[in-house]
Amino acid sequence: MRPAVRSFLTAAFLCAATQSYGQALIFKGGERWEVNDPFKLDTSVPPKPVSDPKKGTISSIKGTVVRTVNSGGTDIESTRKLSEVISIVWPNVDKLTEAQLFVSRGEPNKALDSIEPIIKFFDAFKKTPGSLWLKASMVKLDALDRLENDAVIGAFLDNLEKNDDGSSPELANKVKLARLMQRARRGEHDTVISEATDLITKMDDPDVLARLHIVKGGSLLATKKYEAAMNTYLRVPVFYGAQAEHLPKAMLGAARAFRGMDSPATKEQRLEEISNRYLRDLIATFPVSKEAEEAKKLLPKEDRLAAEADAAKIKDAAVIPDATAKPDAPKADNANNNEGNK
Amino acid sequence: MVTQESRTYKLAKAAILAVLIAVIPATSPLRAQGAPAAAKVQEDPLTAQYNKTMGEIDKKQFPAALKNLEDLEKKVANMGPAMQGTVCFHRARTFYLMKDWVKADTELNTFLTKYPEGTGRIIDENDNMRGVAQLTLVEVYANQSKWDPALDLLKMLRTNPLVQPKDRVNAYTLSARIVEEKSKSGSEEEKKQALGQAVGLLKQVTGGGLGTPEAREGGMRLVEVYTKLGLVKEAEQLKAEIDAKSTGSPSEIVRSNFQRIEIGDARFEAGESATELKTKEELYRQALANYQGALRRATVTRSVTKAVEMKQADLDKVVKDNPKPTPEVTEKIEKARAELESFKTIQSDFEKNKDYDAFISYRIGLCLLELKRPWEAFVAFRDIFENNPGFSKVSGAYYYYILALREIGRNSEAQAKCKEFLAKYPDAEEVSMVAVILGSISQDREEFEEAIGHYNWAKANVKKIDPATLEEIDFRIACCHFAHVDWEKARLSLDEFLKKYQRSFAREQAMYMNALCWFYQGKFKETKAGFDEYQKAYPKGEYLADVRYRQAIVKFGVNPPEIPATITLCNEWLRDYAVSKVESVVNQVPEVHTLIGDAEIRIATELDKDISTADKNLRTNAEPAQKAKYKAEKERLEKEKETHTLKAIDAYIAAARSGRTNSNALDFVLRELGKLLPGRGEHARMRDLYKEVYDWDHADPKSLNYLYEVIKATERMGDKPEFAQQAEAVQKRFSAQLAAARKKVDDLLKSDGKPADVAAAKAAVTTLSTELAAELAVVDKARQASVLAAKTEALGILSTAVAESINDRKQEGSEKLVLFLAEKLARKVKRVKPGAAVDPSAYTVANAEDEITKLLRLEENKDSLIAQARGFFAKGQLAAFLRDPVKSDFYFKKISANYKAEELSPTILAIVGDHMLAKGETKNSEGYFQYIMEHHRSSEYADYGFAGLAEIRLIQKKYKEALELCAEAIDNGVVMSKEKDIRFTKARALAETQKYDEAKKEFEEIAKTKEWKGESTAGCLYWLGVMEERQGHNAEAVAYYRRTYQAWKKYEVWSAKAYLGAARLFATKLDQKKEAKEIITEMLSKDRIKDTPEATEARILSAKL
Repeated sequence: MRPAVRSFLTAAFLCAATQSYGQALIFKGGERWEVNDPFKLDTSVPPKPVSDPKKGTISSIKGTVVRTVNSGGTDIESTRKLSEVISIVWPNVDKLTEAQLFVSRGEPNKALDSIEPIIKFFDAFKKTPGSLWLKASMVKLDALDRLENDAVIGAFLDNLEKNDDGSSPELANKVKLARLMQRARRGEHDTVISEATDLITKMDDPDVLARLHIVKGGSLLATKKYEAAMNTYLRVPVFYGAQAEHLPKAMLGAARAFRGMDSPATKEQRLEEISNRYLRDLIATFPVSKEAEEAKKLLPKEDRLAAEADAAKIKDAAVIPDATAKPDAPKADNANNNEGNK
Repeated sequence: MVTQESRTYKLAKAAILAVLIAVIPATSPLRAQGAPAAAKVQEDPLTAQYNKTMGEIDKKQFPAALKNLEDLEKKVANMGPAMQGTVCFHRARTFYLMKDWVKADTELNTFLTKYPEGTGRIIDENDNMRGVAQLTLVEVYANQSKWDPALDLLKMLRTNPLVQPKDRVNAYTLSARIVEEKSKSGSEEEKKQALGQAVGLLKQVTGGGLGTPEAREGGMRLVEVYTKLGLVKEAEQLKAEIDAKSTGSPSEIVRSNFQRIEIGDARFEAGESATELKTKEELYRQALANYQGALRRATVTRSVTKAVEMKQADLDKVVKDNPKPTPEVTEKIEKARAELESFKTIQSDFEKNKDYDAFISYRIGLCLLELKRPWEAFVAFRDIFENNPGFSKVSGAYYYYILALREIGRNSEAQAKCKEFLAKYPDAEEVSMVAVILGSISQDREEFEEAIGHYNWAKANVKKIDPATLEEIDFRIACCHFAHVDWEKARLSLDEFLKKYQRSFAREQAMYMNALCWFYQGKFKETKAGFDEYQKAYPKGEYLADVRYRQAIVKFGVNPPEIPATITLCNEWLRDYAVSKVESVVNQVPEVHTLIGDAEIRIATELDKDISTADKNLRTNAEPAQKAKYKAEKERLEKEKETHTLKAIDAYIAAARSGRTNSNALDFVLRELGKLLPGRGEHARMRDLYKEVYDWDHADPKSLNYLYEVIKATERMGDKPEFAQQAEAVQKRFSAQLAAARKKVDDLLKSDGKPADVAAAKAAVTTLSTELAAELAVVDKARQASVLAAKTEALGILSTAVAESINDRKQEGSEKLVLFLAEKLARKVKRVKPGAAVDPSAYTVANAEDEITKLLRLEENKDSLIAQARGFFAKGQLAAFLRDPVKSDFYFKKISANYKAEELSPTILAIVGDHMLAKGETKNSEGYFQYIMEHHRSSEYADYGFAGLAEIRLIQKKYKEALELCAEAIDNGVVMSKEKDIRFTKARALAETQKYDEAKKEFEEIAKTKEWKGESTAGCLYWLGVMEERQGHNAEAVAYYRRTYQAWKKYEVWSAKAYLGAARLFATKLDQKKEAKEIITEMLSKDRIKDTPEATEARILSAKL
């Protein structure tokens, strides 16, 4: 068999293997240790982490993982350093999803409560492929952004920058974005507009691009450049429609921009109605988001009541549904996602 | 499809597919390329020559390689068959790479027949290359269109258990491809059948899973075939499975991405052909989702570049780690090198496709247009101009961008883009369509001269206009002249059109319009000839109803008019068309009735002359018989006139009743009836008619006018003609008696009658006069009661109208009715001077307030916030009409204290907000103005929001924000009735931010505007003084202050400030205390000023002097 084919088949085998097991650490030399998920809790009161004695247990503080193997009727405990881990397989952490939901619902404190343990846990191997540290950090940034506490965000970003050795362009980009968001909050809108415009041409991550457009749109709106703000916000649903978590902000921003563009001279464009349409869509499609609450405030009373009635019809209000049936964007490569987990 | 699919779009699709084929190398050629160099040959002269030959093949130095292979063939002639077979295999391979299919065919057949053991273990320990050779031969056959031998060979490969599994898988994939290729020249049915066959073959490939690259390749092929067959769901599902197994290789990334686009295209096409709206929308939405999910150029490039870099790094590492490679390592290196090359090929091919991103934006834009999301489509197409101006199909993008602009109502911008398009892309396919759009926008806006200009410009400048478009443009030009009532030009254009386009689609219309041009020029002979020609050419023509109506008008228009013929034609028309449902005919019904009315009025008017003659004869002929004759004639004529007038009234009323869709006819007949009916005292008929018209649509902008007419007629109904008749009869009855009684008094006086008789006669006169007055009073009382009853009824109607919309916050007309009602009630209130005794039976303010509560049905609408707010608003306005500012303030404060902005209408928000601001209560008014700014920016009260909020920011010393608000209002033209206030606020904000030059310009501009002369002029002069003072120009400041209090003393707010300013300057900076004292004395002598805060300050200053 040709080597290439062999390696493909190995990869395929690995994919199949990971799907059937849970989280695991891969050490130098390819050794694989299944480990317990400290975030998975049982149903006892108070709940305790589910622990499988056959799996390894990670100690972030000690920087080790300990596993007990039964060999010939004897339990043998072996310990390995976390620094020896070359990749991590961690398919899903419910707390992370929960934190993202809290952020979108406008409950940043709850989001921080959920996300902090994840960041702490993955801190020991933050740059190891498959680590959820960066993803969790971004959720934390979003939560802090919602809190609008610049001092805390500043400290957190400083810490992130300290950890940036240039090996993760994604981290560097996200720090730049967060700094831009800070500047926007400080009212440095002209700088934000120009820097965001520049960054947009250099980035290719749809998530970062969607965020950049939202930040830029916000600054354009603040400087009353309504047409440009509309054009910027609408780029999110137009080009980054698959980034559903950013749609509420973009739709709300676009609705505000349309309001700003409205004037007796543009009456025939019925901009207020268009603005209200975006707000109604936002409330109906993302009923539990913070932006939906904002949208309700912006809608005229009658429309708001109608929109609330529509939203009430959506049964599963706890989950933010997609605006439309959109497939996920295809993954470009394995570097920036958790493909290694498969 | 709302947007016509242009050929550009089709070309765009083709271009994408071309790229797809270019960047995705098929498996078979790669297989031939991928054959490794000999590994087992020893490094002797022969091996050296062999390796050199392999290098030449890799470097595409094919002639040299062939020469070497020829030499090698001779040298290995005595060696084993494996060695000979290897040389033969490479010769075949070289011909294949040279695309010399005939020689490759021969060479491969030789290899396969002559060397049953193939290359043995020379090239690959486990592969004798026979499988590869067979697959390559299939490819060679395919390239020569030798389908059947290719398929036979593949069948053999698929069924032969000795063939390696990977080759068997490839054989299935290749079979599917050949089947498809073979059907290309066949019919549609054969093609479809072939695709079905391909599905069957490819399912064999994917049936065993997608774990191997060969299986995934087959799977990708199957995705493509599914897409072609319209089985998009299956394609998407399989694609998702393949993506999940993806290894991240560049070819997989690129291919997966293009497949996503292809699936999107398939969805889009399915959407175009779907008939059901819901299905259509769903398909477009799915297409959009696929396009949005496609990776952008930068992402694909980054991924591919990264893969190339990684592959290069791997290769470098192996080479570095193995300075003296073993044969196995050499093989590994060669393979890695080949893979790297293929990655690089994909990279460079992808980089060549500069239009990639633009095509995605283009597709997204099209989907959004179809989904009726024009604003988003606008953004998508704009992205192309901003980020891919060099897009090869940019003309198509322009076209759809123009359509999006039209959809969102940006017509001027659309026209500018049309012009830009026509100038930039004179040869583009959409030129004709854009040329028509350019003019049609102006035409739709009824800017006909501009439209004609655009059409002529297009005719003169656009080179590639197709004949059909040219015809359309010529016709549109004629239509524009026609609509612009430029009859002569229209007629000439239509004449020209009819001559030029003998078989035109618009010939019938042109012929009809041509006659109409004569008609509107009043040339009835030519009109008749034109219409006769039309009726002859089109006896069942589309415009026949109108032509017959016009023929009737012609009869009426000729001199002398043929009135009976006109009426006959009209009645015949009504007989034939009155029940028609055709819109244009329905619109014509009131016009025909109107024509009958006009004809009847004409007859009636013409009778006036005869009546006048009869009247004259009656008066000039004393002879009784003659007198009786003329009297009878006059009466007959008058009766006849009355008959025609009544017929005319009936016809006009019929016209009005059928005029719902023809506002011009409706307005005309209502005007005519307004002249006829009230004069005849037929107010009830007038009222009923207006009521009927009002009830058609209460939301119609004109409905308020109709309602006012209803109320006016109702009120007039009270003053019935019989009261005048009764009064006249009474007066007539008494006049003879009074005359006789007065004569008796005169006679007695003349004959020196007895005083007692004179007194008795005078008393009789007095008695008669008293009786007359008493009887007239009875009539008048009845009249007054009737008028009051009518007015009450009118108020009831108004009340019903207001009550209908009082609960609807969005009905802006409601406030207008409330104001109308308040004004009417205010007029009923009997006003008395302060201190004067009030008549206890008089209608008071309290009565008016009670009545307004009743009429607005506030009790019934207790639960409606907006109804209650409108109640307070009405009472506030009532107080304003009655000049009671305290009460007005009381009610407005009630609104501001109890209502949130969102509970009020823009009118109330604006007026109450303004009132509260004037009272210095900025907190609530700020919320109101803010709400207007956010929610009612296009309402007629939007300017109140800007003006009020800017004023508040100025009060709060937030000058920058105040300036921004003013600038926004001015820039966007949201100034309307508040322009003066906004500019004044702006000027003060500029002054406060020390921008004195700009501020001065603004103040001077306001001060010199005639329409604004008054308080703001005083304010501007005072502020000009303030600015001079702040700059240390004391003399100039004093001059401005003086002008303020001397020229504008009645505006105490400003004159008090100006007095104080001048006094202070004299007392301090100018050290002229005497003048200062004089100014203060003068200031305090003014009644309007002496109690102002400035007066208090002036007294303090005076005391210090």
